Amino acid sequence: MSVVHHPDITTLMAFSAGTLDEPYALVISTHLAMCAACREQIKRIDLIGGALLDAEEEVPVEDDAVDRLFARLDTPKEAGDTINVIPKVRDVPAPLVRYLPDGLDAAPWKARGGGVWTCDLPVSANAQSRLMLLKVGAGRAVPEHGHGGHELTLILKGAYKDRFGRFGPGDIADHDQDVDHQPIAEMGEDCICLVAVDAKLNFRSRIMKLLQPFIGM
Amino acid sequence: AHGTAPIVDPAELLSRIAEQKDRQALAELFRLLAPRLKSMMLKLGADSALAEDLVQETLLAVWRKAHLYSPERGAPVTWIFTIARNLRIDQLRRLSNKPYEDLDGIDATDDTPTGLQVVEQQQMVSRVKSALETLPDDQRQVVKLSFLNDMTHSDISAALGIPLGTVKSRLRLAYGRLRPVLEDLQ
Ligand SMILES: [Zn+2]
Ligand SMILES: [Zn+2]
Repeated sequence: MSVVHHPDITTLMAFSAGTLDEPYALVISTHLAMCAACREQIKRIDLIGGALLDAEEEVPVEDDAVDRLFARLDTPKEAGDTINVIPKVRDVPAPLVRYLPDGLDAAPWKARGGGVWTCDLPVSANAQSRLMLLKVGAGRAVPEHGHGGHELTLILKGAYKDRFGRFGPGDIADHDQDVDHQPIAEMGEDCICLVAVDAKLNFRSRIMKLLQPFIGM
Repeated sequence: AHGTAPIVDPAELLSRIAEQKDRQALAELFRLLAPRLKSMMLKLGADSALAEDLVQETLLAVWRKAHLYSPERGAPVTWIFTIARNLRIDQLRRLSNKPYEDLDGIDATDDTPTGLQVVEQQQMVSRVKSALETLPDDQRQVVKLSFLNDMTHSDISAALGIPLGTVKSRLRLAYGRLRPVLEDLQ
């Protein structure tokens, strides 16, 4: 897969630091599954965390800490091998499988008119942002719009073009607020994207409002 | 070469855990890293009891996952940082899904090894440590708040009373300065 568009370095740094909210972290994880260059980049950035831990001062731990740790090793449930094996699902990169166990086609798509479908993906209750799939029919346009906050869009299938270039599978659009664009899906195949968006700005209602004049709702 | 060689090699301890479930190796790794992990957990706002608990959880995860470690994943201390980070996300923010942990399998099957040995990886850590010390204070501050204090870029912006764009530009500048050292990883 030849990925052209990668996340901003500050987004990758936040991912490495572990401070991204779940929907954004998931979009980055999925991009990493599709992009060898960013997997290498993340290893470099992780070195910052490793070096900071290495440089930490030492705070004494309780005297019996090792004994307590050993006691927990004797509890099979705790010491057991919990490495999760992720089932392979067609068209779904591994990090996304938990969210889409039955594949892209089985996603509960909601038609939004104008050749646009959306599907909200369930995230944990305390997530501050939303995770959704966006499908734009082949050759269809998403009306020109801006972004009120940080928005990450990862292309899973198909491709679209906007003023920033062509975005195909694995490419990520890492947009901060005040970016205006009008993505147009390429002919031949629907374009399916994974989108993380600030919950405070209701992406769907924004899209709906934008679509209204087009579809006469 | 300068300084003295480490008395215990964390990578060797990890392989003894992976291959022989060697408890003595785990105890040594604990002695080596637990006090620093505890300091890190305290910076996250955990009280002493919770910090102790998170340190325990981290070493327990190291015990379980030691067989997944390879030099391709970086120096042991880097790998253990990422384990502690994932635990902290899990325990303090209680995320139900695990976008970070789901990368474990992908990473393990990655066919682009760096070819670096553990010794070189540890030297990289030392060089990044020195490079971090040469950062201007305002850049080092945002890097530390992000990586050690679990603060989002917006949190940092609010806490320091500077625009979000300034937080990001300081991080960008910091990365630019660290870049020659980090990208030596070839
Ligand atoms: Zn990438
Ligand atoms: Zn957009």
